[in-house]
Amino acid sequence: MSETQPIAAKLRKSGILIILGLLVEALTLVWNHPLAFIAFIGISGLLMAIGILLYLWALVSHSTQKSAR
Amino acid sequence: MPTAVVLVLLAITVAFIVVIVARPEVTLARGGKILAFLALFILPVFGGLLGLENHIERSKQTSFCLSCHIMGDYGRSLHVDDPSYIPAAHYQNNRVPHDEACYTCHTDYTLYTGGIKAKFRGLHHIYAQYLGKPDHPVKLYTPYNNRECLHCHLGARSFEQGAVHNADPQIMANIKSNKLSCVSSGCHDMVHNVANLDKAKFWSPAQ
Repeated sequence: MSETQPIAAKLRKSGILIILGLLVEALTLVWNHPLAFIAFIGISGLLMAIGILLYLWALVSHSTQKSAR
Repeated sequence: MPTAVVLVLLAITVAFIVVIVARPEVTLARGGKILAFLALFILPVFGGLLGLENHIERSKQTSFCLSCHIMGDYGRSLHVDDPSYIPAAHYQNNRVPHDEACYTCHTDYTLYTGGIKAKFRGLHHIYAQYLGKPDHPVKLYTPYNNRECLHCHLGARSFEQGAVHNADPQIMANIKSNKLSCVSSGCHDMVHNVANLDKAKFWSPAQ
C-alpha cells in the first residue's frame, strides 16, 4: 500500500470529483430546462475536467517519481 | 442516444470509480490500472460527450424554446386559427414536426451554427432571461434566410411552378439566391405577428 499512498490520495480526489460531475450531469439530463445545459457545462463539465486532469497528473507525477528512484 | 442509456452508462462509470476510490490498491495490478484508466478517463469523457449530444438534441425541442417566458407568445402564435400566419399553417398541418417546430424553421439559431459569436449570443439569452432585461419583442440577429424555407420547398411543384414566383424570371433567381426574402412585405409576410395576438382567434387540436 505504501507504494500506492501518494497516488492513492490523488486517485481518490480525482474519483470523487468525477463522481460529483457525473451526478450533476445525470441531474441535468432529467431536468428539461435551459439552465440544465448551463449547469451541465459550468458545473458538471468543470468537475469532470478537474477530476480527469488530476488523474492524468497523478499518473505523470507517479511515473516521474518511479523513474527518479 | 436515449437519455436512459446515457444514465445507465453514467451509473456504470460511477460504480467503477467507487471501486477505485474505496480500494485504490487495486491499481497496483495491471488489471486495476486498466480499470482506473477506463473509469477515470475513457468513460467520463465518453459520458460527457454523450451528455453534450443529448443536451444539444434536447435544445431543439419546442418545449425547450418555449420554456423561456419571453417566447410564450411565439408558441401561442402557432395556434392562431388563420392560414395566412405562416408558422401556424405549418404547425397545424404537420409541415413541421410539433416537437421541433422552432428548430425546423430556425436551424441557424445560436447553439447550432454560427461559431463562437453565436454561442456567446446564446449565453447572452440566458443572462437576459434570468438576470437582465430581454428585448421585447425579440428580434432575429440577421434577416430571415430563405434557406430555412427552401430546405423543404425547393423542388416542390407549388414553389417551382407558383405563378407569382415565375411572374418574372428574375424573381425565382432572387428567391433562390436569398436576394429576395420569402417573408418580404407583400409575399409571405404574416409570420408570428405577436403584437396582434390579442385580436387573433385560436385553433385547438381537440376541436
